[in-house]
Amino acid sequence: MGIKSVMNTDRLYWLGRYSERVYTTLKLFSRSFDYLIEQYGDDHKAFCESLEIPDIYRDKDDFIDRYAFSLEDPNSIISNLYRAYDNAIELREEIGSETLSFIQIAIYEMSAAKRSEAPLLHFQKITDAILAFWGCVDDQIDDENTRNIIKIGKRIERLDLYARLKKEPRAIRREVKRLAGRIGRSDLIYSQDDLQKIIDLANAPELDYWEIIRLVEQFVEC
Amino acid sequence: MVNLDKLLASTADINGLLARYGVKFGIYKNGEFKEQLFPYDPIPRIIGKEEFAYLERGLKQRVKALNLFLKDIYNEKKIIADGVVPADFVYAASGYLAPCEGIIPPKEVYSHVSGIDLVLGKDGVWYILEDNLRVPSGASYPTIVRGLERLCSPRTFHETPIEDNRNYPQLLNAVMDYVNTGGINVVLTPGRYNAAYFEHSYLAEQMSVPLVTCNDLEVEGDYLYFTGYAGRKERVGAVYRRISDEYMDPLTFNPESLIGIPHIFDVYRKGNVALLNTPGNGIADDKGIYYFVPKMIEYYLGEEAILHNAPTYLPFYKEDREYVLANFDSLVIKDVAEAGGYGVVFGNKLTAEEKERFISMIVNEPRRFIAQEVIDFCDIPILDKDGQVERKADLRAFVLSSEEPVVWKSGLTRFSRNPDSFIVNSSQGGGFKDTWVLSQ
Repeated sequence: MGIKSVMNTDRLYWLGRYSERVYTTLKLFSRSFDYLIEQYGDDHKAFCESLEIPDIYRDKDDFIDRYAFSLEDPNSIISNLYRAYDNAIELREEIGSETLSFIQIAIYEMSAAKRSEAPLLHFQKITDAILAFWGCVDDQIDDENTRNIIKIGKRIERLDLYARLKKEPRAIRREVKRLAGRIGRSDLIYSQDDLQKIIDLANAPELDYWEIIRLVEQFVEC
Repeated sequence: MVNLDKLLASTADINGLLARYGVKFGIYKNGEFKEQLFPYDPIPRIIGKEEFAYLERGLKQRVKALNLFLKDIYNEKKIIADGVVPADFVYAASGYLAPCEGIIPPKEVYSHVSGIDLVLGKDGVWYILEDNLRVPSGASYPTIVRGLERLCSPRTFHETPIEDNRNYPQLLNAVMDYVNTGGINVVLTPGRYNAAYFEHSYLAEQMSVPLVTCNDLEVEGDYLYFTGYAGRKERVGAVYRRISDEYMDPLTFNPESLIGIPHIFDVYRKGNVALLNTPGNGIADDKGIYYFVPKMIEYYLGEEAILHNAPTYLPFYKEDREYVLANFDSLVIKDVAEAGGYGVVFGNKLTAEEKERFISMIVNEPRRFIAQEVIDFCDIPILDKDGQVERKADLRAFVLSSEEPVVWKSGLTRFSRNPDSFIVNSSQGGGFKDTWVLSQ
């Protein structure tokens, strides 16, 4: 579609980031939810620590309720899903109604999960919707730049989350490689120096996770 | 006879798809913005081929005359000089914009997209309720729902010869291309918190043109540019703007507008960009001017109006004022400055005190009101939770004007969900139906 507005470039990038954040945190949360079914106590603390989010929850029930469904909690999954939606809804002409519809479906499923006694069932559908959304990005968006900006947002978010979760070096290196292969294929402005530093850090014998996070957060102008 | 059984059995599926695709409109309640699904009714309004051909002739005629009126009013003003339309009704109208004086828009098209509201009377006559020549909305809803109806009930469309209405975005694109002064086409929206944002974004998607806000456009020299990421720029030749005249350019109109583009009107005045619809059109769809449209048709085209106005009285004229005061209880009174179903009062619904106050307003400000006979218009069936019931409905027909006006072979049928109400506007709880035009 030719040139892209500053706002839409920003929205595409953040749509990629928030959709990935929902996808990854939902997977983590679903595992914790399963574990917490029989547990009593403060086991949710480990979850908060791993994601570097403040533990503001009274107990596990409060954690399950607010981390998943509270719009007042900016770290909650629903808050991040709404941020993805807020970006997507203003991108209909860029990404197409079909692609957008999967974010809308995820929103409906999140509302259903909140009312359900078996939220994992709906979380699975949200995961399916996000996967379909990404499939649609590949299949239905003709403009390569548009596709790549969303995917760069997704790659950056995944690398950021993996570094925060202190994932094993192999996983970090894989994500860095994917990001490096993608970043030059859009018109996003980025620092090549910072990218090289990220590559070097990922290949170092000891990973400096904090430095990776710092560089990942700043190296794209968006 | 059209068999609707299969379509009606698919209602839940169609509604599910409308939700999936976010077919919504925005509404402000208690100062808070909310998005709502636009209630859809599956029973279409069906218009026969010949009946539509009649409407088509009448609508083209009306829009041609309105275009000529706009050109005349902002230039030679012959219709005033010849005493057909009183000057008072032009210069006192809020839709008359002095900055538009002397401007001829690209290809002399003023009302590129005209939304003409009609009702079908029980006497079998179609009446024009009002003309919308500024930013008429609503075409996207029947366009998208048709695709969903066909998806859910293909056999219905196999068995029934219906004109395909999914060409609306292409018709609009053709109009934009026709008036484009060089550069790209864009759709200008006030943003996500506008009631019709779904339509703006959907039409932009279907037309494959950028959806922009004021932040994306800037004037440089005598031209308008779309400014993109990394400082890229592209000249804009046509803007389908979905914001009101008064907010278009803070340096020409409302200085407090934050959603306009400074100097865009200067670019337009120099003929370097087409604005759809043209600023200043509000004078032609003013409720007071409505009374004169049949006279315009006669004046400019030398023809008798094919489509009828609802019987209308102007309290401005002594004779009409006396009639209105004598028959107040049987009339509907409209404040010419209001729109969207607001400012409409049924004489028989007022208390004695309200009536007295209203009559005093009419006497003191006769130019502000028109009065119309309450048309006994046909109710049409809708599916309610209790089954099929009859409700009031209107039809918004869309006429797209380039070299010649083209009537879109469909329209937005809006209905009241309230059995006691004549108000069909979505902002007041109304729903919509598809409008089928039979091709045989």
